[in-house]
Amino acid sequence: MATETTTRAKLRWGLLDVIVVVFALIPVLWIASLSFKTPATLTDGKFVPREWTLHNYRTIFETDQFVRALVNSIGIALIATAIAVVLGAMAAYAIARLDFPGKRLLVGVSLLIAMFPQVSLVSPLFEIERQLGLFDTWPGLILPYITFALPLAIYTLSAFFKQIPWDLEKAAKMDGATQGQAFRRVIAPLAAPGLFTTAILVFIFCWNDFLFAITLTSTEQARTVPVALSFFTGESQFEDPTGAICAAAVVITIPIILFVLFFQRRIVSGLTSGAVKG
Amino acid sequence: MIVVADIVLDKVSKRFPDGTVAVRDVDLEISDGEFVILVGPSGCGKSTTLNMIAGLEDISSGELRIGGERVNDKAPRDRDIAMVFQSYALYPNMTVRENMAFPLRLQKLDRKTVDSKVEEAAKVLELTALLDRKPANLSGGQRQRVAMGRAIVRQPKAFLMDEPLSNLDAKLRVQMRTVVSRLQKRLGTTTVYVTHDQTEAMTLGDRVVIMRGGEVQQVGRPQELYDHPRNLFVAGFIGSPSMNFLHAAVQDGKLRTALGDVPIGDRIRRELEAGDAPRELILGVRPEHFEDAELVDEETRRRGMEFEAPVEIVESMGSDKYVYVAVEGERASAAELEELAADAGAADFTGTGSNLVTRLSAESPVAEGETRRVWFNLEKIHLFDPANGRNLTLHEGRAAGALAN
Repeated sequence: MATETTTRAKLRWGLLDVIVVVFALIPVLWIASLSFKTPATLTDGKFVPREWTLHNYRTIFETDQFVRALVNSIGIALIATAIAVVLGAMAAYAIARLDFPGKRLLVGVSLLIAMFPQVSLVSPLFEIERQLGLFDTWPGLILPYITFALPLAIYTLSAFFKQIPWDLEKAAKMDGATQGQAFRRVIAPLAAPGLFTTAILVFIFCWNDFLFAITLTSTEQARTVPVALSFFTGESQFEDPTGAICAAAVVITIPIILFVLFFQRRIVSGLTSGAVKG
Repeated sequence: MIVVADIVLDKVSKRFPDGTVAVRDVDLEISDGEFVILVGPSGCGKSTTLNMIAGLEDISSGELRIGGERVNDKAPRDRDIAMVFQSYALYPNMTVRENMAFPLRLQKLDRKTVDSKVEEAAKVLELTALLDRKPANLSGGQRQRVAMGRAIVRQPKAFLMDEPLSNLDAKLRVQMRTVVSRLQKRLGTTTVYVTHDQTEAMTLGDRVVIMRGGEVQQVGRPQELYDHPRNLFVAGFIGSPSMNFLHAAVQDGKLRTALGDVPIGDRIRRELEAGDAPRELILGVRPEHFEDAELVDEETRRRGMEFEAPVEIVESMGSDKYVYVAVEGERASAAELEELAADAGAADFTGTGSNLVTRLSAESPVAEGETRRVWFNLEKIHLFDPANGRNLTLHEGRAAGALAN
């Protein structure tokens, strides 16, 4: 009786999982399929291409525009992620561990930033960056990315830091560590899964951004891939670059997948087990 | 090199920002190589005191000296003391070897010295086979030993131990108790050990410090605390099963108790004649100072008195028998007793009337349900003032019973 219910429950859940996965994956697979089609068969409505071609991929890598944008994207996202995670880790550690004046204010303000509609900041930022000479530069994008990624980083990281037993830090201090050594050699390694999770989230946020990238750039100098994609044109006015856009879309999801796969192995849950109690 | 590592607490207090006083004017001198136990119910300030010695808590007022040097404002790392935590606090990302090497690495010792010191400590604690495991793959007792290993490996001036055995199961705890004791004797390092378990306190320490509400109640060797408790709290805290307490009314030069009228000697009488002397007292008798009246010889009989009471439960321990007898009359009541009951988790489990725990000889033919004649030793009883808990039978630090002249 009991096993029957569990098998049925498993089936039901399995079915539900399949529906969700299919729902999420079909558009992605569709784009991948389009990217391999020739211009002639592009609109034939077949899910599996009748004629396979790498022409679209060749086209996008031949245009300097796309390669340049890819470099910009990777560079800007990596730098913004690194800075946001380091700053976020320090802030989160302080929030999790210390009782300093203004702590609630800090947490409140960072929440406020996270909730602030970014669209309303775009025009002022545009003016500011033009005045400061940051417009259409890497720092011009890195700065707003850090600003909006930090609340996210602080929130996720402080949750991770709170899970680390405080006794470990005390033990490190008794063993002769300074505050800095205790953080670097004991706390940070234990917070590593949290750091990687945060890094992934922040990286995806920066990588996917379109709004800031389109407003705060004007040339190839700092234009990122999502924006470059929107500037794709065909060889003539009447040619639709659907195939090329699809190929580019596939290409720009690859770094994200690699990034997640690479860090996922480091997100080992239960890393703190064995630290305290028996 | 001889390191003198006496620890002196001079009127040390801890006040938290919200105004609560966790530790109040603690005076304590721990001499070099001594094993001192801080014991008391939860919230008595023993852990806070330990943390202040460690440097993990600031000292609000007073002075702390280690090896003659004032260390109030020194960081933990500059005090050269090691600590063992209740939670073990092993670094889970490091192996046993790395855990134990951590304090040495921080001292920037060279690799060879570190290795040899770790190996040596591992041998002492029988951890050699486990050196390359992670803490997650160790049992509770093994983790405990690693935590101790991390403390001893750098040969600090003193060890601080914060309830190191309380996470172990009962059997392992007894075993580890001897490990701790042997280790301390072997190393001869000054040790301050915090526990809430009075058995640990009695068996481990050279001296025991009993704390209550942030204040030191009594400091002394375990036997001294047991035989000559300064007040009601100490008397009730030390000993298992604990001392029996009965209400006693002073009347016509005698004490009227549930066990009958207890005669008093001149010394107690003089105490009670003072103007502000209490009219009501609390009578304390340890379980082993009772005996089956049948088994008491004439000479011993004269030193005590007898009463009859129904026997409720007999627990035969082999070597002797714990006999629970019921007596009529008022229960002894005092703030200290309530606190002790609360700490034992028995605050709401007191029943009516009084119950005495007596420890009788194994030869006693006592049976449950019968009414038995029981003798108790008047020279060993204690009388307490319920208002302040003071032991009235104590003279110059010695308890002399009720009959002393």
